Amino acid sequence: MTLLRRSVDARRQRAARRARPGPLADFLAVPGPDRATPVHDLPLLAVDIETTGLDPATDRVLSVGWVPLDGDRVVLAGAGHLLVGDGGEVGRSATVHGITDDAVAGGRPLEEVLGALLGALAGRALLAHFARVETGFLGAACTRLWGAGLPVEVVDTFELERRALGGGWDAASDPGALRLWAARARRGLPVYRAHEALTDALACAELYLAQRAELEAAAPPETTTTLRHVVA
Amino acid sequence: MPLDVELAEVRDFLARHEPFAGLPAAALEALPARMSVEYFRRGTEIIARGQDNHHLYVLRSGAADVHDEQGTLVDRGEAGSSFGSITLTRGNPSTFSVTAIEDSLALLLPEEDFHALCRAHPAFDAFYDAQRRSRMRGAVAELRVSATGSAILTTPVRELVTRELVAVPTTASIREAAVAMAEQRVSSLLVMDGDRLAGILTDRDLRTRVLATGTDPAGPVSAVMTGDPVTASVESLAFEALLEMTSRRIHHLPVVDATGRPAGIVTTTDLLRLEEANPVYLAGDVAKQPDVEGVARAASRLPRVVEALVGQDASADDIGRVVTAVGDAVERRVIALAEAELGPPPVPYCWVALGSRARLEQALATDQDTAVIIDDAVDAAGLAWFEALAERVTDGLVRCGYPRCKGDMMASNPRWRRPLARWRTELTTWLTAPTPEAVLHSSIFFDMRPVHGDESLHARLQRHVLGAAPEARTFLTHLARQAGAHEPPLGFFRGFVLEKAGEHRHTLDIKRGGVLPVVELARVHALAIGSPAVNTRARIEAARLAGVLGDELADDLRDAFEFIGYVRLRHQSEQVRAGRPTDNFVAPDDLSSFEKHHLREAFAIVRSAQHSLGRRYLTHVVS
Repeated sequence: MTLLRRSVDARRQRAARRARPGPLADFLAVPGPDRATPVHDLPLLAVDIETTGLDPATDRVLSVGWVPLDGDRVVLAGAGHLLVGDGGEVGRSATVHGITDDAVAGGRPLEEVLGALLGALAGRALLAHFARVETGFLGAACTRLWGAGLPVEVVDTFELERRALGGGWDAASDPGALRLWAARARRGLPVYRAHEALTDALACAELYLAQRAELEAAAPPETTTTLRHVVA
Repeated sequence: MPLDVELAEVRDFLARHEPFAGLPAAALEALPARMSVEYFRRGTEIIARGQDNHHLYVLRSGAADVHDEQGTLVDRGEAGSSFGSITLTRGNPSTFSVTAIEDSLALLLPEEDFHALCRAHPAFDAFYDAQRRSRMRGAVAELRVSATGSAILTTPVRELVTRELVAVPTTASIREAAVAMAEQRVSSLLVMDGDRLAGILTDRDLRTRVLATGTDPAGPVSAVMTGDPVTASVESLAFEALLEMTSRRIHHLPVVDATGRPAGIVTTTDLLRLEEANPVYLAGDVAKQPDVEGVARAASRLPRVVEALVGQDASADDIGRVVTAVGDAVERRVIALAEAELGPPPVPYCWVALGSRARLEQALATDQDTAVIIDDAVDAAGLAWFEALAERVTDGLVRCGYPRCKGDMMASNPRWRRPLARWRTELTTWLTAPTPEAVLHSSIFFDMRPVHGDESLHARLQRHVLGAAPEARTFLTHLARQAGAHEPPLGFFRGFVLEKAGEHRHTLDIKRGGVLPVVELARVHALAIGSPAVNTRARIEAARLAGVLGDELADDLRDAFEFIGYVRLRHQSEQVRAGRPTDNFVAPDDLSSFEKHHLREAFAIVRSAQHSLGRRYLTHVVS
């Protein structure tokens, strides 16, 4: 595990050598937060994407929403939400996220959308719920567009929830209990209309603050909770 | 790249809560991007006492308590409540602490943005105005913005249809229809063909089309009804219905809802009764009645008068005077009827009203509070005459809808029916050697107003009391303590009334927790300065002129009293409308957010007036 974790820095350096000039190279030029950073000072970017399916190889990104967290605060001024309009069709996935072909037609090229996202992500760790989807799709897109993946520290509220519910594989046997809305409801957080990228990103950021408060309350006194404790 | 980000969830949340709900759409749209979100675990401080605060906190979920310098709970807020405005408007450091009592999510608005909103939107500013007085003033003014006018011009027909629909099917016989009318005590009924209105049958039809023509009552009702009658919509105005009826020379008009389904019948009598809701007619009618039954019948219109006055946005002060005037008229008429039976009084006497009616502040749901001051020349036989008078009047008032006083403070109790000299001795004893009972009684007996008879008897007793009261320090101390005993609640929390100790109640006793505390503290001030005023507003004004109540607190208190009184009357008027008995118990869910917000302010004003009263009079207890 230790080897794997350390490799984020190594992967960043390798990616920085390979990446063509552009938003990815700019992002990689700004160092991400150190794992010893206390969570109260930790800069994060909560990200959610809506896609046509679950496979980064065949499915496409339809929209991206994000909102930054500076330590204890979700800064709504930094929130972003962009639709991707690259000519493809939404198909049946519209029933899940409500993004229609018409809406997509008003979107921007993926390159531009990812450029904006990478600008917001610079110097931050990525926060998402079930982050595999975000890292998978964003990494694949970066590779396609700029020749290198997206090495970034990841905090996953799905993973934090799995640990909170006992940590074992058993908890995951009822995946419903780990869903964003179930995890929020468990903490009395407000009910949002699901499946809109920015709303989900904000919902994820708020859930993270609640999970973090629980972790700190459960930790022995005088311990400082750092990125190391929450990283996926 | 410019981002057109829609933070719809945050915007929609703000739009559901005051004062954000009142912001124009563009301002509301721009607001979320100015805010940030923080999470507070149960038990953690959101704003610490003694520290600087630079944000307005709007609770997104959870709940938080506010404690003052002494550590006393002063407020509890739920989702939608905001905190921190006091430091933003009055300056740092915070004199309060705000603590999450549940895991809470809060939206933070930076102080620059808060002040910009205050500058741009007066209503937003007023909501957080650190000067409570202007805020209370605004609330009182806002209660009365709607148009006034004759009830018949503004009342929709919907409100006249009060009783259940009485109807028979077209297949019913004439006799069955007549039986239904007799049982339901109505002068007309509707004849229905399934859901469709087929006709109307009236008393007059039974007379002219059945009896006069010798038609067999076993025959079908459809043969004698008026088929396909003219109807009025529930949405039409009373005067439109009246026009329809006068132009067609009919007295009954079926009322149908938007789908054409019958909702009831209005009659010309219903419409005339609207004009009877004019208090001037009512007091005049009462005075004309030949017997107690007549007085009772006329007096029974009072609740509707109050309902109409509330509907016309009359002030609580004005309505209190109207209810008092009608109460006086009833009492005077009942006394006159009793005197006519008993013969002239053996000696002069003065019948006095006590308590709320003496103060011109009577609401609905009030008991009798009366007393009699008799000329000292009275003998034993004379006292018997007064006993008979008091019995008759008390009974008569009960029949007119004024229940007996639970504490037996009525002229029918010999203790409250005495010669002037005995009254003087009794009141002197109360003032110089007060017992808890005396203090309790005094709260009613020092609010006294002549209603009938020789007013000079009352004037002499009053002069005596007013001369002695300002010197009666111990008595005033007791009275001040009692005035502080009924503390108003802190406010409302999730559909409950939040009491000072942090406990929750299901209903607000608006009389005990709102009206009485103001009445009591105004009385202490008035007696302490020897003022003859009995009306609470007048007493507050007298206390201000005498310098015992500051200008600002006096204004605040007057407005708080008016606001609390208005909410009480609106509550009672809704009970009248629903055909329920009136009381003083208000369910928090029946209050609008405007009313809750300003009641909380009003209660805070009353509490601060109670504290200042305590400082002034309770210190004398050592001397």
